[in-house]
Amino acid sequence: MARFFLRRLRHTVFVLFAISLISFFFIHLSGDPVMLMLPADASAEQIEAMRERLGFDDPLHVQYLRFLGGVLTGDLGNSLYYHVPVMELVLDRLPASLELALAAMAVALLVAIPVGVLSAVKRGSLIDFGSMLGALFGLSMPHFWLGIMMMLLFSVTLGWLPTSGRGTLAHLVMPATALGVSLMAMFARLTRSVMLEVLSLDYVRTARAKGLSEALVIGQHAFKNALIPIVTVAGMEFGFLLGGTVVIETVFGWPGLGRLVVEAIFNRDYPLVQASVLVLAMIFVLVNLAVDLIYGCLDPQIRVFDEGEMK
Amino acid sequence: MRMKLAGVALAALMGIAAWSPSALADNTLVVAQEAEPVGLDLMRSSIQTTMSVSYNIHDTLFRPQGDASIRPALAKTWKQLDDRTWRVTLREDATFHDGTPVTAEAVKFSFNRIMSDALNSPNRGKLSAFDKVEVVDDRTVRISTKEPYAPGLYMLAYYLPIVPPHAVKEMGDEQYNVDPVGSGPYRLEEWKKGQEVVLKAYDDYYGPKPAYDTVTFRSIPEPEARVAALLTGEVDVISGIAYHQRERIRKSDNAHLTDQMGVMPYLGLNTYEAPFDDKRVRQAVNYAINRKLIVDALFDGEAILAEGVISPRTFGAAPDLEPYPYDPDKAKQLLKEAGHGDGLQARLAYPTYMTQIQQQAEIIQAQLAKVGIDVKLEPFERAVMWDRYKAQKHQMYIYWWDDAPEPDRYVYPLLHSESRDYYYKNPEVDKLLDKGRRTLDREARAKVYHEVDHVLYEDAPWAFLYIIPDVFGVANDVDYEGRRDGFLDMRSAKPSSN
Repeated sequence: MARFFLRRLRHTVFVLFAISLISFFFIHLSGDPVMLMLPADASAEQIEAMRERLGFDDPLHVQYLRFLGGVLTGDLGNSLYYHVPVMELVLDRLPASLELALAAMAVALLVAIPVGVLSAVKRGSLIDFGSMLGALFGLSMPHFWLGIMMMLLFSVTLGWLPTSGRGTLAHLVMPATALGVSLMAMFARLTRSVMLEVLSLDYVRTARAKGLSEALVIGQHAFKNALIPIVTVAGMEFGFLLGGTVVIETVFGWPGLGRLVVEAIFNRDYPLVQASVLVLAMIFVLVNLAVDLIYGCLDPQIRVFDEGEMK
Repeated sequence: MRMKLAGVALAALMGIAAWSPSALADNTLVVAQEAEPVGLDLMRSSIQTTMSVSYNIHDTLFRPQGDASIRPALAKTWKQLDDRTWRVTLREDATFHDGTPVTAEAVKFSFNRIMSDALNSPNRGKLSAFDKVEVVDDRTVRISTKEPYAPGLYMLAYYLPIVPPHAVKEMGDEQYNVDPVGSGPYRLEEWKKGQEVVLKAYDDYYGPKPAYDTVTFRSIPEPEARVAALLTGEVDVISGIAYHQRERIRKSDNAHLTDQMGVMPYLGLNTYEAPFDDKRVRQAVNYAINRKLIVDALFDGEAILAEGVISPRTFGAAPDLEPYPYDPDKAKQLLKEAGHGDGLQARLAYPTYMTQIQQQAEIIQAQLAKVGIDVKLEPFERAVMWDRYKAQKHQMYIYWWDDAPEPDRYVYPLLHSESRDYYYKNPEVDKLLDKGRRTLDREARAKVYHEVDHVLYEDAPWAFLYIIPDVFGVANDVDYEGRRDGFLDMRSAKPSSN
């Protein structure tokens, strides 16, 4: 297990390095921030002075090495726009992003898994048909539209929930639900199809033949195996949820990372873009590492195979 | 387990119950803007949403007025010594939020700070006409410009916030940007990053005490959500209201609209290259655009037709100018005279972040097609648009400026060749704009700008479009009138009497 972990850690470092390299060169290809930062009537000397001060006059590889040095010492520089250390900005927003991603994931899984299992068990029934139709609706509905509709109903008309912002649980309800609905639909369909597959396998028939109760067969034997693909997808989706919720963050004024990154890109705020991309990538990689470790608990075969391969 | 679940449910209910529309809280005013401030040091940003917050914390020497005149603020009296020197006397009772007095030394320090290379203020260029600030005594400064500069004090009223030297030196520029010590009516209480900036009334403020003890600035980026927050009473004042949402606010029982500054889009033409190096072609574009139709179709007829470069709401606009009439025949004739009887092709660039820009560009494209100008649309992301603009790569381009009360604020930077010599240069206009800066008598000065307006109307460096008045949404229980500069200065807001 420890060796497995170490090997994955090596992968992680390599992935982060590659991501830092790619994001660095791509954002530098996209344009010069100095021109955006200075007023139109700035003189050529002012522009040059600014370039020099920010280190943009050095060759690109020197700039990259400096950035890499910053990563190792934990100093990723100051935001060109906010004039404060970029890590401070990113870490300020991270809790909000985590909160929203976890809440949306919880909303999605708590509904989707029971619905998916039930649909599979009662395959072809009215329940199956109804829930899969509902899932189709959930998948097809753009979540920003759902968000605005919820806001009009629950805030403007009924006055139950605040329109935007972060603070109390009430603030979390609408963004988490709007974000969770499409995930919910996806997970319900996934759970159903995986369960159907597992339920048709021999060992389930054997379990039933042994005379185990139906609840035990489904809950213990079938569901545990069905969990593996669900955990995999949940891990991937969680990563996306952290940085990719710009639209919902915008609709509900949620102070998350997604909006920060997008604004930073528009402002050509290089240090901020690099820091956010690095942090998001790191979380993504860590979540996937966690997923792999959970596999090991769910199915010892995966772990054994992996370790065996190393020898 | 059951106990645990019950606990969670209870906590959830309490969480929901703990929320209440904060605008209802006593004597607190909640303002929602499109974006969070990027910092609170007024010297370091030229972004509207940032400066709005900061103007409540900082004070300047004078209070700018809608007609481009000024009134006293930190300055009690002032006197013009010669055509490039003013003596300004400060009031005695003004203090910074740490209790120290606002002195002549602070004024000098503030001027030197905003002009310094180290700070690299985006507003430095706006004060470039100034030479120096000298301390005469504890309460008096002498301010001089390099050349006679008519809008001088008005520019100081906007762009020279007075900051405390000791505090800035002690904490450094970076810290001052997040924890400013101004001398305005409100002091910073707390900045919850990504959420809100909370300001409290400063008890020792020298001016009239603001009506609200607390002003909270929130950022709600989604326009629909901002309007919803206003209508539900969660917030009291909002900015950034799209045209199609205005009717909803007007019809509601909870809120109303108040005018502020206007957005003045214009269609710039590259006069350095064919075909727009020919005045007749530029005039043809002006005759070919049906401004009235665009204004009716997109802005409910509420936008003001531009009759030249200077907005009719700005000081110095020529009163006798009429907007170019919509006259496609005249346009065709002018094009024919210029040798484009068979039509011509052109590129039209515009920044995608402007409101309703796509529709405007498409209508203009259709109208120009009718007179034989085949336009290819080039939408650009903000930074790319700006880079190409500076690199003189545009042929026709739509950009915008605010219709500020002071003509020098936009006509000079946009059309004087010493400022932006990208697409247009006219020695006569340069001379007139210089004269406008030097003419200190208000009436004589207005005449100079009338002439500027006439020359540019005829020479048509742009196709003049329209001015779209912007609005703030205000809850009915708040009495607040928008300012012509578009800043959300809350010192004048008070609870409504009805």
